[in-house]
Amino acid sequence: MPQFSQIKPAQNRARVAVVAAGIASPLGLGLDETLASLREGRDCITPVTVFPVENCRCKSAGQVPDDRLAACDGRARHPERLHRVARMMILALGEALIQAPGFVPELTVVGTTSGGMTFGEEYYRRLKGGPRSARGAASLIANYTPQKPVMDAQEAFGISAPCQIIANACASGTNAIGHAFDCVRSGRYQRVLTGGYDALSELVFVGFDSLQAATPERCRPFDRDRSGLVLGEGAAVLFLENLDSARKRGAKILAEVIGYGISTDNHHLTQPNPSGSGPRQAMEGALQSARIKAAEIDYINAHGTATPFNDAAEGKAIAEMFNGVPVSSTKGMMGHSLGAAGAIEAVISLLALQDQLLPPNINFRRADDGLDLNIVANNSRPGKLRTVLSNSFGFGGTNASVILRAHET
Amino acid sequence: MSLRVAGMGWVTPLGSGLDHVWGRLLNGERAKAESISSPLGRAHAVFRAPAEAAAQAPAHPRLRRSSAISRFAVVAGLAALDDAKLKLDAKTSARTALIFAVSNGGVIYTRKFYHDIVESGAKAASPLLFPETVFNAPASHLAAILGINGASYTLVGDGAVGILALKMAEDLMLSETLDRCLVVGAEEADWLLCDAYRQWRLLRSKPPIEPFRRPARGMILSEGAGAVLLGRDGLIEIEKIAGGTNFRKQREAGAAVEKVFAELGGETDLVVASANGTFVDEAERAAVLRHCPHAKVYALKGFLGESVGASALWQTICGVQSLCTQLVPPDSLPTESELPLTAKPKGREQLRRAVISVCGLNQQVAGLRLVRN
Repeated sequence: MPQFSQIKPAQNRARVAVVAAGIASPLGLGLDETLASLREGRDCITPVTVFPVENCRCKSAGQVPDDRLAACDGRARHPERLHRVARMMILALGEALIQAPGFVPELTVVGTTSGGMTFGEEYYRRLKGGPRSARGAASLIANYTPQKPVMDAQEAFGISAPCQIIANACASGTNAIGHAFDCVRSGRYQRVLTGGYDALSELVFVGFDSLQAATPERCRPFDRDRSGLVLGEGAAVLFLENLDSARKRGAKILAEVIGYGISTDNHHLTQPNPSGSGPRQAMEGALQSARIKAAEIDYINAHGTATPFNDAAEGKAIAEMFNGVPVSSTKGMMGHSLGAAGAIEAVISLLALQDQLLPPNINFRRADDGLDLNIVANNSRPGKLRTVLSNSFGFGGTNASVILRAHET
Repeated sequence: MSLRVAGMGWVTPLGSGLDHVWGRLLNGERAKAESISSPLGRAHAVFRAPAEAAAQAPAHPRLRRSSAISRFAVVAGLAALDDAKLKLDAKTSARTALIFAVSNGGVIYTRKFYHDIVESGAKAASPLLFPETVFNAPASHLAAILGINGASYTLVGDGAVGILALKMAEDLMLSETLDRCLVVGAEEADWLLCDAYRQWRLLRSKPPIEPFRRPARGMILSEGAGAVLLGRDGLIEIEKIAGGTNFRKQREAGAAVEKVFAELGGETDLVVASANGTFVDEAERAAVLRHCPHAKVYALKGFLGESVGASALWQTICGVQSLCTQLVPPDSLPTESELPLTAKPKGREQLRRAVISVCGLNQQVAGLRLVRN
C-alpha cells in the first residue's frame, strides 16, 4: 500500500467495481431470495419473538429466523459462542466469497449501531441475578463489542484484514460503503470489504418505542398517514475493487460505485432539520463526487423510515432535487435494520440495476400532499435503470448517500 | 503531501490542559484512584477525570443532558483547535472532518436506560436517555458545537481504535476537499465496565498499574478524552500508520504486535507503549526488544490508567510532546525489566522518531510512527 506522502491528489480517480455481494435479511438469505422478495413486494414483518414486547407500543419487526442462521455453523470454530448477528455476517460473507473466491481485502470497513448488544443485555441481567449467575459471563463481554461479529466472520473464512467499524447510527452501512469507495478510489487500496450489520435487541427496540418513533401499525414510508418505523435486522457485504484490477483478473463486475456524499445535520440529536438540508447536502455531495447531474439518477432507494419528520425532510430534498425520479423505501417490507440498512439497501440497489427492477414501497395508500414524489407504490415494476442512488440518515444528524451504476463493458 | 499534528488537547485523570498534564507527567505524578462500588457490593478502583475538567465544557444546549463522555470529548476537541489557534468558521469547518473514536461509549446512560427496562419494564424507559446511548452521540454534540456539517464519523473498536481513527483520518485527508481532520477519542468510567473487565480477569483491584511487571497483575480503568488535530502543517509528522491487524487469542497478541512493528519499520528513539499490566505487556515487550532494542520505552498507562477509547490518543499526544520538547516523562517501573524504560529526565534528549504502539484488549493491534522534521 502506498504511503500517504506518495499519493498525489490528482490520482484520486480510480474507478471502483462491486465484484461480489452477500446478504442475510428478513427478505431472505442470499441474493436470489432477496430478489424474489423484492419482485413480489413481500411483507416480511412478523411478531417479535426474540424478547418480550408486551409492554411496547410496537410489537413487530423484520427478523431473520434463527433456524436459518444455523446454516453457518459449520464455518465457525465455536458456533455456540457466536452472536446471532455474527452468523448473519458469516452467511453474507460466505455468499460473496462464492462469487469472488480469490478476494483478499486489504481493509474491512463495516457499519453497525449496536454490535452484539444482546450479549451486553444478557450480561447485565446475569449481574442483576447476583455474582453466582454472572459467572461465565466473560465470553459475553468479549463477544459484545462491535468489532467481534466482523472478526468472527473474517475468521470463519481465514480473512485477517484490519477492521474499521463505523457507528454513525442508522447511516453506518452507507457510510461504510462510502468510505470504502473513497479508499479504493484514492488509489491507495485495491480491495476493500465493506457492509453493515445489526441484530434486533431489546434495548434498541424499547428505545425507539420510548421515543414513539416505532409504530404499532404497518410501516408506511412516505404515506400521508405514516406513523413510524418498524425495526429490522440483517447483514450485507460488498466487495469493492479497483476496476482495472478486477478486469485484469477477469472478475465478474456486478456494478460500479461512482459517488458518495456525507453530511452532518446539526439541527437536533434525533430530528432532522425540516428544510431537508442534511439529506440534500449528502445527495448533492454524492452527485458531485460522481460528477453527474441529478437527471442521470434513474431510481432512489430512499431512507424512508416512515417517521413523519424523517420522511418529510428526505422527501422534500428529493422532490427539490430530482424531477419525478422513481423513489421507494424498502423498509416497509423488511423493517429498519439500523447499521445494516445502508448495506442491505445498497445490495437491493445492486439487484435493481441487475434485474432492471424498481423495488416496491409497500403499504402505501395515500400520497402526502406536501411531498411531490414518484413513489413506486406497493408493487415492483420494470424500470430502465443505469444509475441509482441510495440514502441513509441517522441519529446525530449523520446523512450518507451512495450512487451505483450498471457496469457497461 | 504530509500529514502533520496541528493541535492537541486532552482531559485526563491528571487534569486537562496540554502543558499542565504534561508537566505532571514529567514530574512522574500518577493519577489517584477513587473507589466505586457496584450494586453487587464489589469495590473497584478507577481513575476519574477531575470534575473541573469536564466543567470546562461550554454552556451549550446540546450538553444540557449529555453524559460525561460527551463533555470530555468537547473539552478535548476545543482544546486541540485552540492549540492550533484555529477558530472554525463556515469556510474552515466545511474543510474539516471529525472522527470520534470510542470503545465502551456512553455506558452510564446505557446502563441506566437498560436498568429501568429490567427493573420496571419497557414503559419506564426514558426517551431522554436513549439518544445519548448511541455511540455517535458525543460526535454529534461536538460537530454541532464546532459547526462541522460535512464528514463526521464515529469509529468503534478496542483500545486500538484511536490509531484506527488516525488511519481513517489519513485516508480522508487524501481528499483535496479537506484541510484538516479532528480525531477525538473519549471514554467514561462506570462500575459496570469495572465489573465486566474484572469478569474478564483483566482488572486489578487497587493501584498501581505496573506495566511490564511479571507476572501481569491487571489494569485499572480511567476516563477522559484525547484530541489530535491533523493538518498539512506542524512540527511533527505522522510518518506512517500501521492501520491494524488482529489476533484471535491473547497468546497470539505478540505476533500481531510484531507485525505492526515490522510494518512501521525504521529507526525509533522512543516507544510510547500501551502496556497496562495485562497480557498486552508481554506482547509489546517481545516486539520492542526485537525491533527497537535501543529505543526508550514509556508506558503511559501506568500514570493515567487504561481509558480504552481515549488511550491511544493520549499516547500519541505524549509521543508528540516528547518530540516537541525533547523530554520524556520518567517511567517508574520494575527494576527487573530488560526494557530500556525511561528515567527521570536529566536534560534534553535527542529524539527524532517515536512509535506509538497499541495492543487492544479485544483482538485489535495498530501503531504509528512520528517524526520531527
